[in-house]
Amino acid sequence: MPTDGCPAFAPAAMVSIGVRVVSCPARRKGEVVLMRSIRVLVVAAAFAVAIGGVASAETIKVGVIGPMSGPFSLYGRNFKLGIDAYVAMHGKKAGSHDVEFIYRDLDGPDPAKAKSLAQELIVKDKVQYLAGVYFTPNAMAVAPLLVQGKTPFILMNAATSAITEKSPYIVRTSFTMWQNTVPAARVARQKGYKKVAIAVSDYGPGIDAETAFRQTFEADGGTVIESIRMPVRTTDFGPVMQRIRNGGADAVFAFLPAGPPTLAFVKAFIDNGLKAAGIQLLTTGDVTPEPDLPQFGDDGIGIISTYHYSRSHASPENEAFLAKIREVGGRVEDVTMAAVGAFDGAHVIYKMIEATGGERDPEKAVAAVKGLSWISPRGPVSIDPETRHITQNVYVRSVEKQGSTYINKEILTFANQPDYGLIKAK
Amino acid sequence: MAPIPGRPAASPRPGCRSRGVPGRELVAPTVVAILGALAYLAFPDDLAFFTRIIVAALFVMSLDLVVGYCGVATLGHAVLYGAGAYAAGILCVDGLTDPLLLIAAGSVAGVVAGLVTALVILRAHGLPQLVLSIAVVQLAYEAANKARDITGGSDGLSGISPGPVFGLFEFDLWGRTAYVLALVLLIATLVVLRRVVRSPFGLLCRGIKQDPDRIRAIGGTIYGNLVKMYALSGAVAGLAGGLTAVTTGVVGLDSVSFEWSAEALVMLVLGGAGTLYGALVGAVVFTGFEHYVAAVDPYHWLFVVGALLIGVVLALPAGLGSLAAWLRRLLPQGAP
Repeated sequence: MPTDGCPAFAPAAMVSIGVRVVSCPARRKGEVVLMRSIRVLVVAAAFAVAIGGVASAETIKVGVIGPMSGPFSLYGRNFKLGIDAYVAMHGKKAGSHDVEFIYRDLDGPDPAKAKSLAQELIVKDKVQYLAGVYFTPNAMAVAPLLVQGKTPFILMNAATSAITEKSPYIVRTSFTMWQNTVPAARVARQKGYKKVAIAVSDYGPGIDAETAFRQTFEADGGTVIESIRMPVRTTDFGPVMQRIRNGGADAVFAFLPAGPPTLAFVKAFIDNGLKAAGIQLLTTGDVTPEPDLPQFGDDGIGIISTYHYSRSHASPENEAFLAKIREVGGRVEDVTMAAVGAFDGAHVIYKMIEATGGERDPEKAVAAVKGLSWISPRGPVSIDPETRHITQNVYVRSVEKQGSTYINKEILTFANQPDYGLIKAK
Repeated sequence: MAPIPGRPAASPRPGCRSRGVPGRELVAPTVVAILGALAYLAFPDDLAFFTRIIVAALFVMSLDLVVGYCGVATLGHAVLYGAGAYAAGILCVDGLTDPLLLIAAGSVAGVVAGLVTALVILRAHGLPQLVLSIAVVQLAYEAANKARDITGGSDGLSGISPGPVFGLFEFDLWGRTAYVLALVLLIATLVVLRRVVRSPFGLLCRGIKQDPDRIRAIGGTIYGNLVKMYALSGAVAGLAGGLTAVTTGVVGLDSVSFEWSAEALVMLVLGGAGTLYGALVGAVVFTGFEHYVAAVDPYHWLFVVGALLIGVVLALPAGLGSLAAWLRRLLPQGAP
C-alpha cells in the first residue's frame, strides 16, 4: 500500500541533479570537485524538497472502497491494480500534492457497512475523495453523505444508471448496463436477426439488460419472441435452452453475472444443440470476461459480446497500461474492466486535485472534470457534463482463439456511446 | 404474562442470580449507558461504526431470545430483521418521515414476520428445523428480489430520508443523532428484555429448552410460549432493522440474507448464548474486531477473524460472556 510518502521526494531530487550534471562542463580535473558539489546539491535539494513538501503540499487522501476479500476480491484487487498502474505512470503527485490511497474492504452488497465505512473515511481519515465501490446498493448508501461531507465520489464500477442522479458529486468512470446493451441490440439488427429470445438473470442488472435490449431491438423493427428470467444462482440451463430452441429464435441475447453460471450457460447452449442449429449467442462483455474464456474453451468461439473494454484492445495506451500492470506486480491475466475503471478514476481524481490546488472544494472539482476528455486504455473517453457519466466507445467483440489463448476480438466499434439508461429516464 | 400453572420460577437453575434487589435490575443498562456515553465522548469520529455495532447487538439479542433461551435452531433470523428494515424503508419512501414512527413500524413488521416464521419452523425440531429456517430466509430473499418495484431488488431500496428526531435533531454526517437514538433504543430494549427473561415466562422458556417433556408434564404449553417468544424476538429484530433503515438510508437484500442470519449466530456463539450480555459482548467484539483488522489489512483479515473464532470456541466453549462469570467466581464474594 502506498503509505510512505518519502520515496516520492527522491526522484524529484534526482531529476534536478541530473539536469545540473548534464549542463556542467565535465572536465577530468574538476571531477572530484564536481562530485563533491553534486553531493552538496543532493543534500540541499533533498532538504529543499522535503521542507517545501512539508510547508505547501499536504497529502491528499483518497478512500477506496471495494471487495478486497471474498468471492469478488478479483475486482477489488483490480481497483488497486488500476490505481497502482496510474500512480506508477504519473507519479505520486497531483499538481504539487502527494496523493495517498486508503483501501477499505466491503466484500458484498451491504449498504449499512458501506455507509459507515464512507462516513469513517470522511470524518476520521479526512479523505478528500471517495472512490471505488463494486455493488450498486453500496454506492446508493454512500451518495447521501457526499454533499454534507463535501466529498466527490468517483464510481469505478457499480453500473446502475440512476446512481449518478443521487448526488451532484458523483462521477462515474465505469459503464452502465444500458450503455453496453443498446449496441448489442443494434448489432443484432445489423446482422439481420429478426427474432430474438432474451435470457437474463433475475435481478437488477439482468432486468436492466432485458429492458434495454427489448426497447432498442423492437424500435429497430425486430421481434423479441420470448424473455426468460433465470434464477441468479441456478446452474441448470437445460430447460431454458429447450424453450429457446422450440421458440424458433435466430439469436439469443443473454446476460448473467460473471462466474460459474456463465460457464454452465454456455455449455448448455452447446450441449442442447443451439450452436449447431445456427443460433447466435449475443451477450454483454460481463458474460465473457477474459479470465473466464479459457474455461469456455473452443465452445466459446464465436460468441458475440458488446463491452467498453477488452484486454486485447489494440492501442498504444492499452499496451502502456498493461506494461504498468506488470510493473506493479499484477498479472495481465487478472485484468478486467474494473482495473480500467480504477485507472481512469485515478486520472479524474488527479485532474480534480490539480484544479482545486488541493483544497476541499467539491463544486470546483466536479466542474473541472465535466467535459474532460482523454485517451484511456479502452479508447477515447469523456465525462458527460450533464450526467457525469463516462462517454466511451462500445466494441462489438467475437471470442476467437489466438495462439493458445482466447481473446475478445474487436470487430466493430460504436463510437462515443452515452448512458442510454439516463437518457431514457429523462 | 404467562398464565401457566406450576410456576417454574420455584426451581430456578443453579447459578441463576435473581436476588430480587430492585437496583440490580438496572446495573447492566447503567453500565451500557455509561460505556455508550464514554464512547461518544472519546471517539466522536467513530459514531457511524458504533451505530452499526448497536444494530448488530440488538439483532443478536433478538436471536438470543429464541436460540439461547428457547433452544430453537435457526439460520433464518434475518427474515425478522429484513421485515423491519423494509417496512420502515418502504413507509419512508411513501412519505412517512418521523423516524420514531418508522422504527416502531419496523418493530411491528418484525412481530408479524416472527409470528409467520414461528408458525412454520416451530413445527419441526433439531436439524429439520434448521433446514426449514434456511428455506424460509431463502424464500424471503427471493420474494424481496422479485418485488423490485417495491423493494428495489438487488439495487437496494434507496431514497429513505427520514426527518429529524422529535422534529429537532437532524441526522448528521457525524452520525451523532443516529448514535444517540440507537443507544437509547438499546438501553430501553435491554431493560425490557432483562425483565422478560427473568419473568416466569422467561424461565418457562428456559425450561422448555432444557427439558420440554418435563414442562409438558407439569402442565406448561410448549408451542404457544415459543410462538410468543418468537414474536417478542421479532419485535427486537424489527426494531434493529427499522433502525438500520432510518440511519443508513438504504435497505439491501443483504438484510434478509442467509449470510446475515449466520453471522448473527456466529456473534452469539462468540459472546455466549443464553445470556443477554453474552449477545451484547459477542456483537461488540466480533464487529469491532472485524472492523479494525479489516482496516489494517483489507485483503487477509478474514484469516485473523477465523482464528479468533476458533480460539474462542476452543478455549471458552460458553463464549466470551463466560469470562465475566469466571472472573466473578475468582473474586472474593462481597455483598450478596
